[in-house]
Amino acid sequence: MATLPDEPDTSRWSAEAADVTLAAAGDAGAFERLYRAQVARIHALCRRMLSADEADEATQDVFVRAWEKLGTFRGESAFGTWLHRLAVNVLLGRRAAHGLRRERYHDGDDIFASVSARHDSPELSVDFEGAIGALPEGAREVFVLHDVEGYRHEEIAGMLGVAVGTSKSQLHRARMALRQYLDR
Amino acid sequence: MNEHWTDRLSEYLDGELPDSERAVAEQHLASCPECQELLNDLRAVKTRAASLPSSQPAHDLWPGIAERIGRSAMVRPISTAPSKRRISFSMPQLAAAAVLVAVCSGGAAWLMRGELAPEAAPSQPIAAAPAPVRPLAARAVARQIPGPSTPSYASAVSELEQVLAEHRGQLDSTTVRVLEQNLAVINQAVADAQAALARDPQNAYLSNHLARTMQQKVALLRQAASLAAQS
Repeated sequence: MATLPDEPDTSRWSAEAADVTLAAAGDAGAFERLYRAQVARIHALCRRMLSADEADEATQDVFVRAWEKLGTFRGESAFGTWLHRLAVNVLLGRRAAHGLRRERYHDGDDIFASVSARHDSPELSVDFEGAIGALPEGAREVFVLHDVEGYRHEEIAGMLGVAVGTSKSQLHRARMALRQYLDR
Repeated sequence: MNEHWTDRLSEYLDGELPDSERAVAEQHLASCPECQELLNDLRAVKTRAASLPSSQPAHDLWPGIAERIGRSAMVRPISTAPSKRRISFSMPQLAAAAVLVAVCSGGAAWLMRGELAPEAAPSQPIAAAPAPVRPLAARAVARQIPGPSTPSYASAVSELEQVLAEHRGQLDSTTVRVLEQNLAVINQAVADAQAALARDPQNAYLSNHLARTMQQKVALLRQAASLAAQS
C-alpha cells in the first residue's frame, strides 16, 4: 500500500514515537494527541468505505481497537500506516459482523444505474465524493482502497477475500461509473 | 472503440498489462480517439481520487473514545519479573526513550529552577519585573536553559549510559545501534530546542507544560531502564 510520506520533521517524528510508547503504557493523554493527528484521515476512510452516517461510530471503533492493540505496534512502519491498516481491518470486520454478505460484486450495467439512481434530480449537483458513496459496496471498497488509499490489487484481494481479477474488474467499473462526475 | 480494450484500459493505466499486451494496446490507442478519450477520463478519475482531502468529523469524537477506553486508561504495569531473554526495544520505543531522557531531565530541571527562582515564576507577569530589568534573554541564560551542562540533565544521561554499558550484552545489537543513531538525532533536536527557547525565553507556560508532560515520560523511561537492569 502507499505509505505515509517520510516525515522530515525530526522533532515531530520523535514526539509521535514518544506518544506511541506512552500510549502503549496506558497514557490516555498521549493517545489523544495521536488521535488528533490521525482522526481526519481515518474518518475520511470510514466515510468512504461505509457511509457518512456510520463514519463517526466506525472511527471511534478504530481508535478503541488501536488503543487495545498498541502493544503490538513494532515500529516497522510509520504509526499512521499501521493505524490505517488496522482501520481497514476494523471496517472489514464490521462489515462481516453486520452480516453484509449480499451480492457485492456486480458485473452488469447496474453499477451505472446505482450511481445515477441516487442522484437523478438535475437540481442536485453530485460531487465526486457523493458519487463514490453511491457506488455498489464492492466496487466502492475496491475503488477507495486502490485509487484513494493506494493499496495494490494483491493486497485488496487478500483483504476482501476475492480474486485479483475481481479487484481489477471492480476498479475499472467504478472508474467508468465515476468519470461522468469529474469536475470539468 | 474496441470493447476488448475499453475493458482493459484501467490495467493499462495502472501499468499492469504484460509488455506484449501493452504494446498492442498502445497500437490500438494510437488509432482510436474514443479509447484515447476514455483513457484520459480514467486517468482523471484516478488522479482525482488520489487527491481527495481528508476532513475532520463534524464533531469531536474523542469524548466517546475516552469513555470507552476509560477503564483501561491507566498506566499498564510493566512486569519487573527477572527475565533471561535478550531485550529488544522497537525503534519508536528507543527514540522515545532517548528523547525522554534528554528533554525530560532538562524540562524537569527547568521547572525546578523556576520554583526556586520566584522572580521568574510563570504566574508573575514579565512586565511587572522590578527595574532594572535585565533583557529576557539574559535572564533566561541566568536560569540556565536546560542543556548538556545542566546538572540533572548530565546526571540522567550519565545514568542511561551507565545502564546501557552494564547491560549492553543483554541488548540486541540492532537495538543498541538504533539507540545510538537516535541519540545522535535527539541530541541535535535538543540543541535546536534550546536555541528556540533562547529566542523565546518568556514562554513560561509552554515550558512548564512541557516539563510536566516530560516528567510523566521520565517515569516511563525509568520503568524501562529498571526492567533492563533486572534482566
